Amino acid sequence: MYTCGIDVGSVSTKVVILGKKDNKIASYVIASTGSNGKNAAIKALDDSLKKAGLTDNEIEATVTTGYGRINIPFADQNITEISCHARGAISLFPDLKTVIDIGGQDSKVIKLKDGKPIDFLMNDKCAAGTGRFLEVMARAMEINIEQFAPIFIKTNDKVDITSTCTVFAESEIVSLIGQGIDKNKIIKGLIYSIADKITSMVGRVGLDEPVCMTGGVAKNLGVVKALEENLGIKINIPDEPQITGALGAAYLAQNLH
Amino acid sequence: MGIKDKLKTGVQRNLNQKYIRRLLDIIAKKPVLFAYGSTFSSLSDKYLNIFTIKSLRNAYTDNNHPVGYGSLFLPYEMFHALGITPFLPEVMAGFTAGLGLATQTLKEASSNWYSQDLCTFHRSASGAVELDVFPKPDFVITTNLACDAAQKSFYIHSVKYNIEKNFYLIDVPYEYSKESILYLTGQIKNICMDISSKSGMKLATSKFKEVISLSNEFRKWAIKVNNLRKTLTNYPPYYNGLNFILPFHGLAGTREAVILYNQMYKELKKYLDKEEKEKSGKNKSLKRILWLHLKPYYKNEIFNILERENCRVVFEEINYIYWPELDPERPFESLAKKMLSHFLAGRIDNRINVILKAARDYKIDGAILFSHWGCRQSNGGARIIKDSLNKLNIPTLVLDGDCVDQNNSSQGQVKTRLQGFVEILNS
Repeated sequence: MYTCGIDVGSVSTKVVILGKKDNKIASYVIASTGSNGKNAAIKALDDSLKKAGLTDNEIEATVTTGYGRINIPFADQNITEISCHARGAISLFPDLKTVIDIGGQDSKVIKLKDGKPIDFLMNDKCAAGTGRFLEVMARAMEINIEQFAPIFIKTNDKVDITSTCTVFAESEIVSLIGQGIDKNKIIKGLIYSIADKITSMVGRVGLDEPVCMTGGVAKNLGVVKALEENLGIKINIPDEPQITGALGAAYLAQNLH
Repeated sequence: MGIKDKLKTGVQRNLNQKYIRRLLDIIAKKPVLFAYGSTFSSLSDKYLNIFTIKSLRNAYTDNNHPVGYGSLFLPYEMFHALGITPFLPEVMAGFTAGLGLATQTLKEASSNWYSQDLCTFHRSASGAVELDVFPKPDFVITTNLACDAAQKSFYIHSVKYNIEKNFYLIDVPYEYSKESILYLTGQIKNICMDISSKSGMKLATSKFKEVISLSNEFRKWAIKVNNLRKTLTNYPPYYNGLNFILPFHGLAGTREAVILYNQMYKELKKYLDKEEKEKSGKNKSLKRILWLHLKPYYKNEIFNILERENCRVVFEEINYIYWPELDPERPFESLAKKMLSHFLAGRIDNRINVILKAARDYKIDGAILFSHWGCRQSNGGARIIKDSLNKLNIPTLVLDGDCVDQNNSSQGQVKTRLQGFVEILNS
């Protein structure tokens, strides 16, 4: 039998189907959430079942997480991203003490003790320090977000982005481009602005190693490098960081039956 | 001009009419609102509402007694001894939020240059003053105890009503000492004498003694209520200890406060007796929460979420009885000691000691510090409070939000934080 974890995020919906006996991922899907989280979850689950060659009868329990976790009718339970990311990360790195999750809409730092969350901090209500911030900036600069990491690595200098607000930061970089400032330096500055925000959150919760980073932004090596530099540590990154919450949800579903 | 006249003249803007209509409903004792719905769930619930209504009605309609605006941390015994009707703009800001009218008062404050950084209790109250929907004060009294916003915004209220000469600030020293008691006693006495002289309200020794005795009686019942809650696990559904700000402060020294707390004691005692009588009466899996600072006073899901998760706020720091019994023979000095004893006076250690004592007394599983936007006296201590509780292995959630402005926080984010915290308590 299998369990299923579904993470309905603001940008993407992730599904993980997990073997109950072997704890192996039978399949996973990352899909766009769009405007309807419930439909996105149903579609992503169907795709994930097809990919694994399973039927829904073989799913023993389903746990949903993420901002859209509440409205999924077939879920057995909904659990917050805090517990799910912690559980997912622990399954990959058993000795973890800190999880940094940066998703599309929010970012969080979770402190662990003996594999369980004991404290956490989430970003305040604005989009600063989230994946959305990077997306908006990439669009404003007409650069594919995937180019951010290589640019970050090859560029030495940065321009400080002083605006915390996403809307003001967008205006600021348009203005910087207008002044003829090198776009690469602006990109480096943008990445540091996210890293600085997360660094202060880590400081508030307290830094304990080992540290893992999850969520879509963990795929951006520029942000990872900047954070590693700020914190003076090495950060563990899962092979597919974006599904960590869904993976944790699938693990937590194992406890339900 | 009375509020009914204001309505008739039609000179007020729409908000004023709406606001005043709602207040008239309250004053006319039509089904009351605030946090409890349209019917009274119990006698104590009824008392709380009726006494609140009476207090408001007096402030709006009683022409025989001067009205005094007062900030939260004043010793209201002095008002009652002087025969001044207290009106607490900060508490009214909470009611305004409960009435669903804070958006308008905040908008008015914003139009009048009140900074977005100003605590919304004061911003909303200032908006209401600008709209002229609060009763006109004869005196404005405030203190620098704990709150930095009150001393400024209350002065502006006095300017608005052209009574700067009737504005009083009680300066509470940082340290508790003999000199501080002397200094504060002198201030309270002088203010009382000045108000008495200006208003013609006689400050009779016998009246002051009676007020002080009633304050002691209220204190006695409040301590009894607090003691009961140390072991209580089942609460009446209507009970929320964060709804008693007006009686706890504004009615101290009145018979109403005594009646209310006595009745609350009786009702909670029934619950406790039932728990102890029945073997399965105790809710043993209850997660016991200590609540720090205030709560949102507009419609919100916080306490429903906690209840669904079998969590209960078993104590609120604002209900801690911090002052010693008052001496009816030395009323001014007693009130000075009361102010100086407040755990928000002086160093943060005073507050932490109260929190740690409550954590032990109420055997709490977790603490929630509601971090109200703009409240520097409370938020400034968040880190050290959290660290102190963590040393006792008590998880602490610093929940960012706003007590008055519902547009200043996201319900979804609040829900995720609360659920995440409960998951930690249950893990």
